[in-house]
Amino acid sequence: MGYLAAENLAAERLPGATFAARHRGALLGALAVVLFFTAWQMIFLIVPLNPLFFTTPAQIAAGFTDLVESGDLLHDLAVSAVPFGLGLLAAVIIGVPLGIVMGWRVRVGYALDPLMTVFYASPLVALAPLLVIFFGVGISGKTIIVFTLAVFPFIFNAASGVRAVDRLLINVVRSLGGRERDIYLKILFPSVLPYVVAGARIAVGRALIAVLVGEFFAASEGIGYAISRFGDIFAIDRMFACILTVMVIAVVLTEGIRWAERAAFPWRASQ
Amino acid sequence: MTDQTLDLSIGASAGRFVSPALRQRIESIALGTTTIALLLVAWELLPHVLPVQQGTRLFFTVPSRIFATLWQMFATGTIWAPLGVSATAFAIGLALAIAAGLPLGILLGRSATLNAMFDPFVTAFNATPRLVFLPLLMLWLGIGLSSKIAIVFSGALFPLLINTHEGVRNADKILINVVRSFGATGWDVARLVVIPNSLPFIIVGLRLAIGRAILGVVVAEFFGAQDGLGVVMVRAASSFNVDVVFAGLIVFAALSLVMTGLVKLLEDRMSRWRPQRAENE
Repeated sequence: MGYLAAENLAAERLPGATFAARHRGALLGALAVVLFFTAWQMIFLIVPLNPLFFTTPAQIAAGFTDLVESGDLLHDLAVSAVPFGLGLLAAVIIGVPLGIVMGWRVRVGYALDPLMTVFYASPLVALAPLLVIFFGVGISGKTIIVFTLAVFPFIFNAASGVRAVDRLLINVVRSLGGRERDIYLKILFPSVLPYVVAGARIAVGRALIAVLVGEFFAASEGIGYAISRFGDIFAIDRMFACILTVMVIAVVLTEGIRWAERAAFPWRASQ
Repeated sequence: MTDQTLDLSIGASAGRFVSPALRQRIESIALGTTTIALLLVAWELLPHVLPVQQGTRLFFTVPSRIFATLWQMFATGTIWAPLGVSATAFAIGLALAIAAGLPLGILLGRSATLNAMFDPFVTAFNATPRLVFLPLLMLWLGIGLSSKIAIVFSGALFPLLINTHEGVRNADKILINVVRSFGATGWDVARLVVIPNSLPFIIVGLRLAIGRAILGVVVAEFFGAQDGLGVVMVRAASSFNVDVVFAGLIVFAALSLVMTGLVKLLEDRMSRWRPQRAENE
């Protein structure tokens, strides 16, 4: 066990090892998930099931099929996806250039850093009730909540990306007669890209929170609304189906970005 | 003001009487406070410059009124009861998260098999906003203190668990071998190498956990609670009492900044002699 096991695991990844040995981690993980759901299903053979509060994986699967066949799930997801996408898009469009300027122009950085830090550190979700009152419960209200929460990771990551830029590159561009515009286009934008993608991973999580907050508060459709409505009517199976769908989407998004990071910027992932 | 960009900042700003580093520090503090002050002044003057319509005036406020409200809340003591309720949920949830997260993180850090088995669950729960479980928790635990604690706990658990795990796993293998060669037991290895090595990681985890825990208190009180500062804010928002919403936000933000700032101090002290570590948000 322990450190010894970790060393063995590494040794087993040699090319000659069997399939089972090479994918030991993934197989163990899959086994644990299967065990978990089996145990969940089996426990109610022993314990009586109170359908008001609990459900089984089989019932969740049935509820999920129902929701997919009626098209409700897809509709709710589509409704939630619009403010999610728009808010993130706005966060990238505003956050990345702002972060680059804050990193590059030292005085702009001095001027804006404390303000942005205060915003980033405070639980901005607390502004949600106000934003809902200002902008309504529709797409615009939710989009603005998403933007408010998601913009800061982009700003800070773009700024630290600029601060990590190789000074030599800048001197080269200057020596070859490059202007400020060339520095932005040829050095700063390309080199903050890995940082922006890393920021996107954090921003996606915050954007999900924002969508859910917006929809729990006041909405008539959307996946967050579906979850709280199914909770209100004690439809636990369909509620779990929606929750698991959100979980799968969250994992796919964050792990997808992580994968993209490794694929696109392998020199950074190795750090 | 010159057109100063990043690469010129070192050396180019050398003053005659003060050292460049000090000058930069003064400049950064001065510029930072000026921006915030200007923003507040502009906000305060906005209704005097632009005509605010009757309808908008309902949800419009200025900093002076927000601070007056905040002062009022503290002076009359109306803030203490709800703040106490929120703080209780925060403290219990965070304490439970520490009590569960550290041992679990150490366990997963030491056993590759257990780690592989728990990994899908940790990844899934960490990627998902815990807010999604709030309706379920309200159903199970009611709308009292316990569902709030559960949300705070689930938010704070994962940063602690993941960072502890990372710290334990990154313990220097050579150091462990050295200690072992001198006849150390498993406990000695833990005491001499693993725990000192993972402490800075745990502190970073704690800082992230505090942020998540405050977020948890806020959202839990927005949707499923009867008491607490978050409840006060939502009630104020629905009766267009915008000042109270901002006052509450300021209190939450101040608490968050102070607590994470204190942990950050501890972190800087402990990691002064260490190479830079990547954060695990």
